[in-house]
Amino acid sequence: MEKIDDKYDFSLYEYHNLLQQNILVSYKGPIDERIMTVIGENIELVTDDGSDKAKNKIFKIFMELAQNVWLYSAESCKTASGRKLGMGTLVIGEFGDSYTFVTGNVVRNSDIEPVIEKCEIINSLDRDSLREYRREQRRLGGDKKNSGNIGLIQVALTAESPLDIELTPVSDDESFFSIAVKIKKTVL
Amino acid sequence: MEDIHITGSKDCYIQPSVDFVESTGLCDISGESFMEETATFYTPLVEWVKEYSKTHDKIVFTCSLTYYNTSTSKWLLALLKELRAMEKRGGSVSVIWYYTPDDTDMNDDIMDYMVDTGLKIKLTPFEEV
Repeated sequence: MEKIDDKYDFSLYEYHNLLQQNILVSYKGPIDERIMTVIGENIELVTDDGSDKAKNKIFKIFMELAQNVWLYSAESCKTASGRKLGMGTLVIGEFGDSYTFVTGNVVRNSDIEPVIEKCEIINSLDRDSLREYRREQRRLGGDKKNSGNIGLIQVALTAESPLDIELTPVSDDESFFSIAVKIKKTVL
Repeated sequence: MEDIHITGSKDCYIQPSVDFVESTGLCDISGESFMEETATFYTPLVEWVKEYSKTHDKIVFTCSLTYYNTSTSKWLLALLKELRAMEKRGGSVSVIWYYTPDDTDMNDDIMDYMVDTGLKIKLTPFEEV
């Protein structure tokens, strides 16, 4: 047997331990509707402490945010049939009396500015104004270009908490963009 | 015109089940809806209602989607607007919407559809399982 002298510099055990701290579900890689279906259905199994409503909310938020990564990530791969699948990271964590759902993906700096502006608008609105904003966006019709925006409004409405966004530059043209939302476990 | 029968799928393309039947005027949509190209899926449904309403004066639309994404929600609005147009022309339009009683988010959503279209939507709870 060949000696492993060029052992990879990565401890899966340490990685596992890191994830053990509060992380219920973690995925990194290409995202499509199959991954979304499987993870979406399994969320219910790991959110034991959550009310039925909290579970339902996490499911809905997961679906919207995962779909945004799938459709809008700047990092992507192509299937044999030529479909483009966005790549990104999805994490569901448990912190005290809340679940936190975080998605992250690489974005082109030129694309992300309007999204950040949208998030800031969303965070400044109360529930009624958000509903009004959603109706306004919905009236714009079924154009795919706008779908991400209404998705974010929906996420804020469902979570009943603001969108916690972070942008970390990775190169001159690109950044890593993440959105975290909190869902109270006991929401009724 | 031909009826529309689509069997919902969860395999690799998450689409709802659809039954739009011309002879009875019963139009049902159920399951989950979060496919990538909502326009491809929903445009024929909106067109169907538009065509149907030219030669018929009665329709019963039943929505029992357990989950739909926001992209789908725009197309549901488009469908409801067609139904409202039919009603305004004197047609008899019934809209029945199944929902989970404690799902206040979906409840709010349906209320907003009523405000936006002027249609009366009959909210019906899903049977408790």
